[in-house]
Amino acid sequence: MYELEINHVSHRYGDYRVLNDINLQILPGQIVAMVGPSGCGKSTLLQAILGTHPPTEGEIRADGVLINKPSRNVGIVYQQYSLYDFLTAEENVAFGLKLDETSLPSRIFSYRSYAKKRQVHLRKAREFLEKVGLSSAMGRYPAELSGGMRQRVAIAQAFILKPKIVLLDEPFGALDETTRQELQMMLLKFYQENLKAKQRGERPEYTIIIVTHELNEALYVADRVIGLSRYHTQSEKGAMIVYDRPCPVFSPDDPRDFSKLVEQREELRKAVFDESYIKDHNKYVSFWSELAQDSQLAATAAANQPAPRRIR
Amino acid sequence: MIRRPIPRWLAIALGVGGVVLLLTAYSILSARQTRKNENQRVIPGWQTFKEGAARLVRPQGSAEDPQPSMLATDLKATYWRLFLGFFTGVALSIVMGIAMGAYRFIEALLAPVMSFLAKIPPTAMLPIYFVLVGTDQKMFTAMVALGVFFNMAQSIYQAIAGEVKTVSIDKAYTLGASDPEIIYEVIWKQILPSVLDNLRLQIGPAMIFLLAAEMLVGGEGMGFRIRMESRVLNMSVVYIYLTILGLTGLMADYGLLWLRRWLCPWCVR
Ligand SMILES: Nc1ncnc2c1ncn2[C@@H]1O[C@H](COP(=O)(O)OP(=O)(O)OP(=O)(O)O)[C@@H](O)[C@H]1O
Ligand SMILES: [Mg+2]
Repeated sequence: MYELEINHVSHRYGDYRVLNDINLQILPGQIVAMVGPSGCGKSTLLQAILGTHPPTEGEIRADGVLINKPSRNVGIVYQQYSLYDFLTAEENVAFGLKLDETSLPSRIFSYRSYAKKRQVHLRKAREFLEKVGLSSAMGRYPAELSGGMRQRVAIAQAFILKPKIVLLDEPFGALDETTRQELQMMLLKFYQENLKAKQRGERPEYTIIIVTHELNEALYVADRVIGLSRYHTQSEKGAMIVYDRPCPVFSPDDPRDFSKLVEQREELRKAVFDESYIKDHNKYVSFWSELAQDSQLAATAAANQPAPRRIR
Repeated sequence: MIRRPIPRWLAIALGVGGVVLLLTAYSILSARQTRKNENQRVIPGWQTFKEGAARLVRPQGSAEDPQPSMLATDLKATYWRLFLGFFTGVALSIVMGIAMGAYRFIEALLAPVMSFLAKIPPTAMLPIYFVLVGTDQKMFTAMVALGVFFNMAQSIYQAIAGEVKTVSIDKAYTLGASDPEIIYEVIWKQILPSVLDNLRLQIGPAMIFLLAAEMLVGGEGMGFRIRMESRVLNMSVVYIYLTILGLTGLMADYGLLWLRRWLCPWCVR
């Protein structure tokens, strides 16, 4: 079963067609980077997946469930305004647990049992904040946190509920380079947890779509890159997925060596961002065939050789 | 130099100095006036104040049938009206403001009407209250409540529009919130500082509306007493009441400031 399924989704604002026949399937535990020229409809697609602005055509399912309004199945981290000013870092993270596991009447009328649950929630929140490297700032309000800290809290806030999928819309766009790198490493750690879960035969917990305008970032944190763009033969109908390929997986300990990304980065730049390079939109959409090939390769390799480097 | 900070002791000393200055200036004025006319009661001396105060706190009625003092009666009447009107007006405006801020169809229905009604000076509507609700306690409550209501409801509605981002609401839905939870846990918590700030701003107008109404009708209350006593030039009583009103406003102001600091530690503006 796919974690997320987008079937024939199109979207228009009035007469302006933004998205045209988007189809996308995402497996549990994938970290998918989405890139595309500014204004091509990335945020529009995310809002459709989130359910706040359902698409004008087509349907989106999370783990088989149709999405038509925002719900706890899909989480989101915005570039800003993701946190509640009036809650401390740990309360912000515990907010979802509170909303999800208790109700307004129960919080008022059975205060004692709620108070007990509250302690559990806050403990879980603190544990998660430690995991994202924020043990020092748990009692502080968002206004007292740096931009990088805020985004860590926002990511913890979204993930602690274990939604089917979490959308990150340019989450590191407002951060300086060093902070950005730290947060990228954090995502890679999540990915490692996914791999471990898969090795144990469990369903991986972190499925992510991250929108970014940094191609290196996209290729570094993700295991799959999709490109959304209008630069294809049916441009007037709106943006389509014009690029969908696997990309190399880094572990947090690997050196940040982007030289092995050069080739794919240039390919991406041409396929997604080059206005003059008009092509059939399916030319670079080869994720699933490459995956099938890969598993065949892996199967033959497993028969002869030690395990391959690229695990998916 | 502009905005150069001054030490704390100096700030306190200057604050006290201001009060002393005010009292001294009054004494001098009063003394000069008395020299011109021995029986003047417009700027009475401190002795006259003492007499006026004594008259205010003397129990009324006869020995068989003792009544509370004038001051007690007036304070009780005025504060009770103020509290009842203010409380009613604020409670209603919170409900209305949040309803308008949260639901688009209520907003579309009521926002234009409300902004129009908020523009009519409530004191000008006094005659309508006389006709509709009479001149008893209900009239004072209605006067204060409605005077506060329109402005307050509008401010709350605007605070929601300005301070509660749509993404915050969407975000809460993704965390599993229900509609009532969004109203209480997101909208209400976010605008609470603005609500308290607006309460502070409304105390002044509320007192204006009530005092104006009391001056026109009613047999007790501070507004009524101020008018009656000033007619016979008992200015000492008038000044005492004005001081009490000033202190009331001041205390309410500080009380709400303190409440805001206590309830909203996250919002230090
Ligand atoms: N509410 C709206 N009404 C009308 N047009 C809109 C609306 N929202 C977005 N658009 C238009 O739709 C197009 C896609 O917008 P969207 O925000 O999805 O792009 P994006 O890929 O996220 O861009 P960016 O990289 O700048 O964030 C843009 O041309 C934008 O002008
Ligand atoms: Mg965008």
